Amino acid sequence: MEKVLLKNLGKPGSHTLANYVASGGYKAFSTALKMKPDNIIQMVKDSGLRGRGGAGFSTGLKWSFIPKDPTLQKYLCCNADEGEPGTFKDRGIIDHDPHLLIEGMAISCYAIGASKSYIYIRGEFVFGAERLQEAIDEAYANGYLGKNIQGSGFDLDMYVHRGFGAYICGEETALLESIEGYRAQPRKKPPFPALAGLYGKPTVINNVETLSCIPAIVEKGPEWFSKMGPVKSPGPKIYCVSGHVKKPGLYELPMGTTARDIIYNHCGGMLRDGKPLKAFIPGGVSAPLLMPADLDTPLDFDSLAAKGTMLGSGAVIVMDTSTCMVKTAYIINRFFSHESCGKCTPCRDGTPWLTRILKRIEHGEGRPGDLELLDGVCDNIFGRTFCPLGDGAVMALRGALKNFREEFQYHIDHKRCMVS
Amino acid sequence: MVTVKINGKEITVEDNTLILDAARDAGYEIPTFCYQADLMGIGSCRMCLVEIEGQKKLQPSCVTPVLHGMSINTDSGTVQTARAGVLEFLLANHAMDCPVCDKGGECELQDMVHKHGPHKGRHAEPKFKFHDKDYVLSPVIIKNSNRCVQCMKCVRVCREVVGQNVLGALGRGDHQEPTSFFRAFMNCEMDGNCIEVCPVGCFMRLPYRYKSRPWDLKSSDTICPYCATGCRMVIEERAGTLMRAKAQLGVGLNSETLCARGRFGQDFVNNPERINQPLVRRYGKLEPVTWEEAISHIKENLTALDGDKIGGIASPRLTNEELYLFQKLMREVLGSPNIDSSSRFSPDAVEGFVAATGMGEGGVSVYDCMEADTVLIIGTHLSDENPVIDYIVRRISASRRMNVIIASPRAMKLDSSANIVLRHNVASENAVLTSLVIGLNEGKLADTLKGMHEAQLDANLKASGVSADLISTVVNRLAASSSIAIIAGTDFLRYPEGISGLGLLKDLLKSRGKKVTVMPVLDRANQRGAWEMGVHPGFGPGYSETRKGLGTEGMLDAAMKGELEALYVVGSDVASMYPGDDFARTALSKVGFLIVQDMFMTETARQAHVVLPGAAHAEKDGTYTNQEGRAQVIKKLLTAPGRAKQDINIIRAIGESFDRSFGPKHFALVLDEIRKEVPSYADVSLSFNNKRNTDNKLDNRGALVKAAAAPAVKVKSFNPASVETSGARFILTTGNHLFHSGRSSMKSETLLGLLKGAVVEISEEDAASLGLKSGEKVRVKGANFEAQMTLLTKKGTKSGVAFIAENFDDAPVNRYFRRGGGIPRVDIIKTI
Amino acid sequence: MSRKGFDLFDLIKKVLFTDFVKGLTVTLGYNISKSITMRYPDEEKWIPYRRFRGLHTLNRDENGRELCVACELCSKACPTGCITVIPEENDSGRGIADRVAKVWTVNLVRCLFCGYCEDACPTRALRLGREYELACADYSCTLMSRDQLLVPQPVPESIPGGYVVKSKLERTPQGIKVTVDLSKFKKRSI
Repeated sequence: MEKVLLKNLGKPGSHTLANYVASGGYKAFSTALKMKPDNIIQMVKDSGLRGRGGAGFSTGLKWSFIPKDPTLQKYLCCNADEGEPGTFKDRGIIDHDPHLLIEGMAISCYAIGASKSYIYIRGEFVFGAERLQEAIDEAYANGYLGKNIQGSGFDLDMYVHRGFGAYICGEETALLESIEGYRAQPRKKPPFPALAGLYGKPTVINNVETLSCIPAIVEKGPEWFSKMGPVKSPGPKIYCVSGHVKKPGLYELPMGTTARDIIYNHCGGMLRDGKPLKAFIPGGVSAPLLMPADLDTPLDFDSLAAKGTMLGSGAVIVMDTSTCMVKTAYIINRFFSHESCGKCTPCRDGTPWLTRILKRIEHGEGRPGDLELLDGVCDNIFGRTFCPLGDGAVMALRGALKNFREEFQYHIDHKRCMVS
Repeated sequence: MVTVKINGKEITVEDNTLILDAARDAGYEIPTFCYQADLMGIGSCRMCLVEIEGQKKLQPSCVTPVLHGMSINTDSGTVQTARAGVLEFLLANHAMDCPVCDKGGECELQDMVHKHGPHKGRHAEPKFKFHDKDYVLSPVIIKNSNRCVQCMKCVRVCREVVGQNVLGALGRGDHQEPTSFFRAFMNCEMDGNCIEVCPVGCFMRLPYRYKSRPWDLKSSDTICPYCATGCRMVIEERAGTLMRAKAQLGVGLNSETLCARGRFGQDFVNNPERINQPLVRRYGKLEPVTWEEAISHIKENLTALDGDKIGGIASPRLTNEELYLFQKLMREVLGSPNIDSSSRFSPDAVEGFVAATGMGEGGVSVYDCMEADTVLIIGTHLSDENPVIDYIVRRISASRRMNVIIASPRAMKLDSSANIVLRHNVASENAVLTSLVIGLNEGKLADTLKGMHEAQLDANLKASGVSADLISTVVNRLAASSSIAIIAGTDFLRYPEGISGLGLLKDLLKSRGKKVTVMPVLDRANQRGAWEMGVHPGFGPGYSETRKGLGTEGMLDAAMKGELEALYVVGSDVASMYPGDDFARTALSKVGFLIVQDMFMTETARQAHVVLPGAAHAEKDGTYTNQEGRAQVIKKLLTAPGRAKQDINIIRAIGESFDRSFGPKHFALVLDEIRKEVPSYADVSLSFNNKRNTDNKLDNRGALVKAAAAPAVKVKSFNPASVETSGARFILTTGNHLFHSGRSSMKSETLLGLLKGAVVEISEEDAASLGLKSGEKVRVKGANFEAQMTLLTKKGTKSGVAFIAENFDDAPVNRYFRRGGGIPRVDIIKTI
Repeated sequence: MSRKGFDLFDLIKKVLFTDFVKGLTVTLGYNISKSITMRYPDEEKWIPYRRFRGLHTLNRDENGRELCVACELCSKACPTGCITVIPEENDSGRGIADRVAKVWTVNLVRCLFCGYCEDACPTRALRLGREYELACADYSCTLMSRDQLLVPQPVPESIPGGYVVKSKLERTPQGIKVTVDLSKFKKRSI
């Protein structure tokens, strides 16, 4: 398959403007500048591109919510706060092909009429932020950004905003708060950012991978894009495979590739012979895990939702039989309780509670009734939090509890691990 | 209007009403922690979750507006489980030290767990502890974060209402702790609104720490005795000691807010220095006597005197009933027209101010002023003198975004909420207002304005020190607004020249067909009531015509000439408030017979022949009329110490010694007489209106007084105030300090803990050019007085302006002023 | 029984004073049974069971810190309002928390020893002890303050009670005093 997002990965000097332009970069932007913004939005809508950040909302539709009033200041924010454990796709694009992102953002800004755009990059991506800033400076110097770009009368400023290491900033409204200089805590919705976002102005927030798809759509047309993968969620998708496989890494495959195909074909199978697959997480740690029986599920939004899990960021985490599920659940939960922003009660006080119970079970101090307590606390968190972070924590734990309940019970009864 | 179904009951509410408000209107209670009507909703506590038919998840009712046809269930099983779940989470990390916690007994968390909560705990893990010991955040706040429920009301009230922005949150997740910057000792307004909004025992009062339990306290619903804002508050006592004052949510014009003086300054009532028995001067010494002896001594000394040679000065802290009876005693029994209620402001200035602000036209609600398109605040340092009005302006301007224009020589906290700030010279209110009038006039000269032209505009601009650009911006905003509110302060009384400008501007705007409301802001609780009760040499009760008499100034002049034979001073400290070095003191010593009725041994009382112990606001019943003209009730909580009596009883006893039938015998009967005699008070009632108005404005318009029948006051013109021509660098201006108001606040232990010694405030640039830093000791040197005080610098204050509050005992600012002289100039020298 | 005829059995009963003895059985039985009165206070004293509700006592923890945190719940629970508590701040380690009682008094004349205060106490600082000799000739003993109540009572919590111990009555200038020897006790039912 022809690569779209990772085409320049691994090429020497792929991050420079010269090499990017040489490989056909910024052609799509020039094409777009000659089009009407509404046509671009229509094109993206036709392509069926769905947001790659996790929620899978139609990108074109999101753009069309932006008011058409030209006097209104509008913003585009690129969500590069890639904090989900197991995910490293945006980093690949930012580090190796920053101009792809810049081009995608420039086209998007043109389409929605935004003259200012922000890239909210995760604080730990020091190298990425520097490289992105270099690329932006280059783009300014070569007239791809700034005032009156290529004589079209379109102005665009782009800023890199570094986060300070909070997972919650990946939530779009918390990201906006953070850019505005407040505590990164989600805002109430409605109003949705499309109407009142950054500084109270209409704002579009898209993931790096989503925006990086835009140049290809503009260049090759929506039909080409929509033919790739399943009908309802077409396009290329970067799968970040990690865990017990022979060749972990980034794999750009059409949407809807099965887990079996990814693990046994592309990644070269399980890491150790004799240790078969125990479970895998299809889309970052907040997605409930799947069992080997589900290996033939296509990894796309709708098929996974039907299985009670989600594609999320497309981070496939593979675990073989040497993995202790209690420990996994504990580590995942510890992450969520550490990253809880503290705004709403169920998430702030519920996730640390779960972590404390899991820690006890993991350390052989489990008590009878702990599993029921875990269920009870999960019920009290799920669906009652302000943002999806709490739900994510609960979904992950519930998945583990559902499929590996006897392993948890073994931990409590025998005060030791079942697998080691 | 939309129709929604709440628990099966159909109700119709305004668009965009929150589900919570709609449900409360329909009579269903929804528990909340983080919701407060006056603050921006954040929907974080999740207590208010409700079930909406057709939606999978429960929705927070405090941030979700109703939509047409919604069917909401506020009390279903799911909702109840959710509430219990949230409370269980809150308790999971709660310190659970209720027996020790000061909030125990009035804690919202306790109440809610009692009502909705899980009655069995499942959390058996170690808890996270922020700290072991409570830490002190400010001289009045002590904090225990382990009890926090993270509703963030403290942070929001600090930012959105008080405008101080000293509170924020540290940490993340369950380590999130709302506190000051890294728990540093705070240097803020100390108003304690964070304490008031805290639903649990996280923010606590330091003066009230471990003193009592809420069920021990007896309380009384009353009015704050400090400034004339007229904040409703509840004062509480235990075993005869006043313990605390607190505001109530949704009650009074102030709702849950109070300032430092109101919340912490009520303890002057407990001061052991209170006079508790009548004293009579015998052989040069004040000696305790019985009431009968004191009253008969007064009668003996006053009987033979000519009424014109008797004077009376009553404090504007007395109730309407006492003031009414006082003027009745003076005018009808003793036959004296010499009555005044202020030792600072001249009677002429008062008359002009009353006329210019239209006090005779009835009360004006502050919330009506906030409905205007443009609010002009002039002649007052609102943030210090009337902090609660400052909060109201800030809160409403943040959501309504009306024009707020502030004209003041000194920088104030409210400047940040203002669209335009006019930094004018001291005592140049007239120049500012006149330039606005000329600017607005655009050639269409009204009769009163004939003769004014461009040259005068230049002269006025020069006098005010405000740039023409700013004036023209203000003029444009005024011209574009259809309704304008002017908030005029006590500087008009200090520098009365501005009164004519105020009158002109008001008339001009009115003639343009604009709706103009003028609200006076005053600094003594019942100043307006004193004037309306006729405690003024120029007019009688209800601004009626009366025989003109002498004001304080005239009385002191007469005393100096030996013509004043008796003076009856009630609650006023003439000796330390009257401008001029030793003038008042000398004059008082020449008064033949001086009666002083006060709570404390003031400078004036030390010179008295008879000292009568009076009562504090907490010890009496009556009504106060605030600056808006809202007559509100104060209620007795304590009994006066020792043999001290309520002032109304003392005044009546003196009256009765001359005339057995004097005065109605009870304060309520006096109020009845006031209702008859003063038509504008006909509707004043002795009960509070406790209902929030439907528009959520905390306003009780029913208590506003009506227009007077025929006010005998008119706008006057005054000579411009002159500034001393000495070479000193700073022009001295005065007013009230944020922590002090008048003299009684200097008897409050808590307020003295906040600020004891005198401070002088100048601009940062001036301080830098003098090589001085904030907090340094300086000597302030005037032409006739010199004192040492602490320097405070403020960013944005007009250069060359020095401010010393009029409250401090160690640097009485009146001594810098010279009687009849201009505005004094002072030099500020570093103390070596 | 027939009036006519001779009844040998009756005669024997008369000779042997049977009725007389029968009538005296109860009396004589008591004469040889154990005495139920006590030689209190000269020789014996009854130590009540733990459930007994006598004079209030304020306890300390194992480190000697006062358990009372002056929460005033006892005074709130009291049906007669006989307990007065005034708290104060003291972080010198006198109490288990920095809140201690400045004043803790109980008015024994009003107290009806219902034990609600004991139930209300969240720190188990307040117990109704087994001291019941509360009489005095003046009003001095009717108002018991914190300092008096903090003194451990002669009968410690560890003793189950429900028996009689040896005691001695002493007459001191301050009044009479009953001292007990808890080591010597005899079980007795009353």
